[in-house]
Amino acid sequence: MTLGERRNLIKGLVFISPWIVGFLAFNLYPLIASIWFSLCDYSVLSQPVFLGAQNYVDLWHDPVFWKALRNTVVFAVVAIPLSTFLSIGLAVLLNQPIAGQGIYRTIFFLPSLVPAISLAILWQWMLNGPMGLVNNLVRPFLNIINAVTGSHLQAPDWLNDPNFALWGLILTGLWGTGQAVVIYLAGLQEVPAELYEAAELDGTNAWQRFLHITLPMLSPVIFFNVLMSIIGALQTFAVPYILTGGGDGPGRSLLFLATYIYQNAFDYWNMGYASALALCLFVLIIGLSLVTVHYGEKKVHYSGR
Amino acid sequence: MNPTRSSVPWLSRVALILLGVLFLLPFFWMVSTSLKPLNETMKLPPQWLPSSPQWHNYPDAMQAMGPFWLYARNSLLLAFLNVVGTVFSSALVAYGFSRLDWRGRDSCFFVLLATMMIPFPVVMVPIYGLFRALGWIGTFQPLWVPAFLAGAFNVFLLRQFFLSIPRDLSEAARIDGCSEFRIFWQIILPLAKPALLTVALFQFMATWNDFLGPLIFLARENQYTLALGLQALQGTISGTPWHHLMAASTLVLLPVLVLFFLTQRTFIRGIATTGLK
Amino acid sequence: MAKVLIENLYKIYPAEKGRPEKVAVDNANFEIQDREFMVLVGPSGCGKTTTLRMVAGLEEISRGAIYIDGKKINEIPPKDRDIAMVFQNYALYPHMSVYRNMAFGLELRGVPKEEIRRRVDSAARTLGLLEPDNLLERKPKALSGGQRQRVALGRAIVREPKAFLFDEPLSNLDAKMRVETRTEISRLHRQLASTMIYVTHDQTEAMTMADRIVVMRYGKIQQIAAPLDLYHQPANLFVAGFIGSPPMNFFTGTLNASRQGTLEFVEKVPAGQTPFRCPLFPDTSRRLSYRQDREVILGLRPEHLHPNSLTSGVTLEATVEVVEPMGAETFVYLRTEGHTCICRTTQSEFIDLEGKKLNLGPDLSRAVFFDPETEEAIPT
Repeated sequence: MTLGERRNLIKGLVFISPWIVGFLAFNLYPLIASIWFSLCDYSVLSQPVFLGAQNYVDLWHDPVFWKALRNTVVFAVVAIPLSTFLSIGLAVLLNQPIAGQGIYRTIFFLPSLVPAISLAILWQWMLNGPMGLVNNLVRPFLNIINAVTGSHLQAPDWLNDPNFALWGLILTGLWGTGQAVVIYLAGLQEVPAELYEAAELDGTNAWQRFLHITLPMLSPVIFFNVLMSIIGALQTFAVPYILTGGGDGPGRSLLFLATYIYQNAFDYWNMGYASALALCLFVLIIGLSLVTVHYGEKKVHYSGR
Repeated sequence: MNPTRSSVPWLSRVALILLGVLFLLPFFWMVSTSLKPLNETMKLPPQWLPSSPQWHNYPDAMQAMGPFWLYARNSLLLAFLNVVGTVFSSALVAYGFSRLDWRGRDSCFFVLLATMMIPFPVVMVPIYGLFRALGWIGTFQPLWVPAFLAGAFNVFLLRQFFLSIPRDLSEAARIDGCSEFRIFWQIILPLAKPALLTVALFQFMATWNDFLGPLIFLARENQYTLALGLQALQGTISGTPWHHLMAASTLVLLPVLVLFFLTQRTFIRGIATTGLK
Repeated sequence: MAKVLIENLYKIYPAEKGRPEKVAVDNANFEIQDREFMVLVGPSGCGKTTTLRMVAGLEEISRGAIYIDGKKINEIPPKDRDIAMVFQNYALYPHMSVYRNMAFGLELRGVPKEEIRRRVDSAARTLGLLEPDNLLERKPKALSGGQRQRVALGRAIVREPKAFLFDEPLSNLDAKMRVETRTEISRLHRQLASTMIYVTHDQTEAMTMADRIVVMRYGKIQQIAAPLDLYHQPANLFVAGFIGSPPMNFFTGTLNASRQGTLEFVEKVPAGQTPFRCPLFPDTSRRLSYRQDREVILGLRPEHLHPNSLTSGVTLEATVEVVEPMGAETFVYLRTEGHTCICRTTQSEFIDLEGKKLNLGPDLSRAVFFDPETEEAIPT
């Protein structure tokens, strides 16, 4: 290395030193420690005792783990596509020359800023069986359907019904798609108008233009958003935790992996087991991310700007 | 779907209005409930507007939460510390990754990107152990010291921005005799104001909204942030006082809304750029 | 003011994924005299900017050395080399006023305020930044391209450096501004009597401004000479074709024995076409006799191809394709069978001759010969 290169190296390292410290303390050490703890019986109050793979064996046989895993994955698999359709749809609607575009954009964006605590309390109220706003809006439609088809559909007691609690949570999540709407809107505005004009001259209709121009041009953004959503959704913790008052929800239907990890770590002080669970979550996230990336590499079209 | 059309289909307009109303309804309901007397909150069929707005619900809710202003102060203090710490440390690190050429830089940056994939639950337990060994559990330190150690996401954001500043500006400054830190401080930072503001805004929001962090690391009630204080309110009282809860929720939400309205453009642009990379 | 010595200089980018090793500067050797205006010229990627940046200290030296005033500066950081640089994109600090842009370097060196004021005012006056409008308090974005470039010049001047470095400073200016600023820089050179190293891809700038020119290609130096020497005595095919606009005409052929006993140049043409034949002067013939029957490339500048010349027996017949009347002179682009050439004349009767045939008379006293394999000029 020349003197100049060495000088630059030192300068570079000095500038990134805060990150290096943070990396060692909050990324590298915890990652390694987590793996170690997952192989131990560890409660913070005493030294870890090596158990080998016992935690993982327990995990495999733990029905609560599987329930949490199932909840987490179902949530992600349902909520992400729904939310993506909704946000792209909203962005497409917003991308038209209408008066008050800025106001609409604000209306859709605002809910995504609401702090988790306010969000959870609000939706606890909204999803309340007898008195919640959601059911009050849904009930008239159900009554009409009942009258017409003679069925006896009832508005569900969302947060107390194991079959519907997760759906209630998904509904909550849909309210917060505003951030994605803003991102998609920006992406839509990057699509050159000439592409649409040329297509219109070629005789396409709006749906075809959406399918063959909008979607491909938007695909890198969609890809990135979906990837981020997956990573985020699999780590869901705050809202269900608050909604259920720190618990699992009816029939454990709102127990997420992150919640179970938290419970094991800070309620039962079973940190070895919690670490094993956490590493499973990590593997899940990496696995799904890799699948998404692999699928995305094939389908995403980069317009090589 | 085509922005150059002059006439927008009526279906779109209707859809937008409908969805707009749906999205606004929860806010409306929250505020409306917060201004009702308790008996009106539980009426069926629901009463949309309070018969007469009970403004005193708000001070009552603050009272019910306990040391409301203390919680607010804690939240603000943490938000402030986090914003300051994040802006400076991320800028410093982003500078190192973008305005300097050094061996191994890109590999290190790749490592930084990789760390963004590590979910918090994975590192949660060891970090707790670390802070416990330092004696920091039950203090504010775990909630603001890490901000001074540059989070990956903000470094990424600022690096993108710094890369867009022409390289020859730094070169001219080096020839002029500027030390590297001076270039950072006197040339790059002033030019990066919009990006720094975006980072500050995002960090404020993140800290204000943070629930898990305070939940894990704080112990005594007098340290609680607003988020935690509100959750305590929800837990302790039996026979849920929805009007108070809604009032308190609105209060916690308010600063975020105000901040948003003051800095809308920066906010929206910031979100859009993150998504588009 | 200083001498700058470039000694066995290399810039090598090591191989990495998807790209082999790249030698951007290949064994450069030259010395710039004190107060000389030296221009490094060549096409994109020839290594001229990389060389300049190594002198500035903005690029690491892979091998070799650079000396300023006898002192080896390889390891010295840019700010201690006592050089100033003018960038292609001006590199003005956008958030500082013009005054501050120029004063910044001096401030950093602890030059006293009154001295800074004196130098900045003096430079500003020289560069026309005070009249007709006082631009000192404006920010760069309120200035035109030409004004910005002058501020960049000012920033360099106030530093009173040992050498000035210019990195294609005129490329971002419009044509008229380019000519104005070009003369401005030449005037400054005379006024300041300082060493200047100037990089450009434009051979016109090189020819008009330089005391000497270094022509580079693919990292290697092709020739170092004064402008007119480069023009009349190019060392190889590349230099001959690069310097001068419109470019030199090249004819490939062989030197055969003619009936008169001297050598004559016979153009190599596809079967069935008539070659262009041209006898050499007797002494040229004698000197090139060792090359009889060998292939050679004949170079003739456009001004040495005379249309409708009266020289008997030696003509090149060609069809006019395009006529470009430039005012003071006319460029005529012609086509022979399978060959295009350009002639340049001050006669004005060639407008409307498109499509017609013309006879061109070559002035062989000005011809340059090149070896087709080595591409080097053959001394005559």
